[in-house]
Amino acid sequence: MTLRQVAVLGTSAVVLVIAALASVALGSTTIPVRDVLHALPLVGDGRVDGPTDQIINSLRIPRTVTAILVGAALGVAGALLQGALANPLASPDVVGVTAGSGFGAMIILLAFPGSVTLVPLSALVFGLVATALVFAVAWAGRGGGSIARLILAGIAVSAVFTAGTTALMTAFPDRVSTAIFFIAGYLSYDGWETLRGVWPYFAFGLVAAALLIRPLDRLALGDDVAQSLGVRPRVVRLLAAGIAALLAAASAALAGLLGFLGLVVPHAVRLAGGTASHRFVVPTSAVAGAALLLVADTVARRVAAPLDLPVGPFMVVLGVPLFLWLLRKAV
Amino acid sequence: MTGEHPTDPLLEVHGLAVRLGGRDIVTDADLVLRRGELVAVVGPNGAGKSTIVRAAAGLTRPAAGTVLWGGRDVRSVGPRRLARLRAFVPQRPQVPQGVSVEEAVAIGRSSHIGPLSRPGAADRLAVTEALERAAAAGLRDRQLTTLSGGELQRVQLAVGLAQGAPALIADEPTSALDLGATATMARLLRSLADDGLGVILVVHDLALASAIADEVVVVEAGRTVATGPPSAVLTADRLARTWRVDAALATDATGRTALHVGWLGGPPGASSPDGTGDDPDGAGDDPTGEHPAGTAPPAGVTGAPSSGVPVAPDPPPGAPGAIHPPTTEGPPAP
Repeated sequence: MTLRQVAVLGTSAVVLVIAALASVALGSTTIPVRDVLHALPLVGDGRVDGPTDQIINSLRIPRTVTAILVGAALGVAGALLQGALANPLASPDVVGVTAGSGFGAMIILLAFPGSVTLVPLSALVFGLVATALVFAVAWAGRGGGSIARLILAGIAVSAVFTAGTTALMTAFPDRVSTAIFFIAGYLSYDGWETLRGVWPYFAFGLVAAALLIRPLDRLALGDDVAQSLGVRPRVVRLLAAGIAALLAAASAALAGLLGFLGLVVPHAVRLAGGTASHRFVVPTSAVAGAALLLVADTVARRVAAPLDLPVGPFMVVLGVPLFLWLLRKAV
Repeated sequence: MTGEHPTDPLLEVHGLAVRLGGRDIVTDADLVLRRGELVAVVGPNGAGKSTIVRAAAGLTRPAAGTVLWGGRDVRSVGPRRLARLRAFVPQRPQVPQGVSVEEAVAIGRSSHIGPLSRPGAADRLAVTEALERAAAAGLRDRQLTTLSGGELQRVQLAVGLAQGAPALIADEPTSALDLGATATMARLLRSLADDGLGVILVVHDLALASAIADEVVVVEAGRTVATGPPSAVLTADRLARTWRVDAALATDATGRTALHVGWLGGPPGASSPDGTGDDPDGAGDDPTGEHPAGTAPPAGVTGAPSSGVPVAPDPPPGAPGAIHPPTTEGPPAP
């Protein structure tokens, strides 16, 4: 890694740590950072009063951990897809996962509002179902597995699920307001419960992403060179897109539709680091994605406190100017 | 590994057939490559040259025939092992943003590095060596997007060399290069073969092929129709049959090669093979494709003759040397 790349990764990590502390300290009641450090699990000595400990460990830390996981997962998902499809516009939307997860959440929120605890599961399942459909279309028959086929299949399948979502909204117009948070992308004080169900998907996805870094780098010079090096480009592409879909679906289960993060963060990381090498882009996208989501969420719940606003728009407001600045500097 | 004896072929292709998109692109191709040998694969556009070498490299699945690397069928050789047997340098390299020359060549070395290990000193040395052998050491820190066509092609060659395989297959590495860059690439490829590598080169420039190749393989309509030393294979008769041009290869006393072409469709055989009989007037009447004895294929050329493709006919009477297109199918391929 060059000095510049170390600096980008280091800066992202520092922002992440500061944002994590701020995210635990700030809320409807402000807790001094000293108390936060005392109350941290594993490293803290537990010298805080009961209610404060309760707020930190049962409400705020789960939310902070969720933001870190989701931000990291979406950053990695975007980096994997952009690398695998050699397409700068690739994001989890492209393989249908966003539309699928949105439909899955809407079914529960609009048609079965009594079973609201099933939203994460339904978002996860439908996100993966949509991706499976995209892959089945894209890889079937002669000439399967081409990038163009995959992207077009993704657009078509996404259209179907988006139409389903629109149909649900038309059928239950009075309940649409309850779905706005999911669509905008949100984080909540739900505690550890949802996280407990979904973390294995994140763990598996992030480890698999780490193993895909080198095969993805070998695709950089084109499929012919990759094949010369003993890589099967179609297999790498399928695996990378599948892992990205898993990470994005798990993210949607926890935090709604934040796919924009997956599009912008890897680009920003590439521009800032001056390299497209996945050894740099994938891990740095994870750290930078987590940092961005965490900062945005901390702002989102402070800006109109005690009102807890959805994080999605704030992430866009913070991320886009930074991205545009990098884009201008790069060209 | 392969080649227990230096004379054992690295690669043997027999009766190769390839179907792509439901079409027979290659129907019957043979090819042999040994260490220290440079084999030029030549033929008209669309004849199937690239498809043959891609199938030989294991990039395209054959429909029939055998492709043997070190005596083993390519389909039974795992992809990582195959990567140690041959390197393939593609015709149009992908040029990604944000990748330096050194990073690109390091990618070429990646088949030697396990999925979880990091490149070691030997790998870094291999990258440096590959850059030097490809005359690209000075480009090390440049971004791929800033390179000229010739520089890019040398880097592409370095990527292949970093793979450390005894055979190198290059698909038209000179097709987009100017004269100087083409000559540089030609010298590089020849020196690699002289150093003991087996090199297969797909090339359109017949003068170049005849200057640097040990053996020339002529591909026509999906078949290898002639194999042998350049002087024995690239005869005026062969050029007339396969490329449908009136042309002859010539080598002067200093070893310079030239292709003398009757660009405007002069009759076959009008130019003598030694390149001295520059006769654009088309005085020789030879509508049947028979040639002076000096241009007949010499003995020692293997492969079947082509299937009687008509040669360019005479210019119309009364218009010797006038500018007119050939009246057979299509203009002569330059």
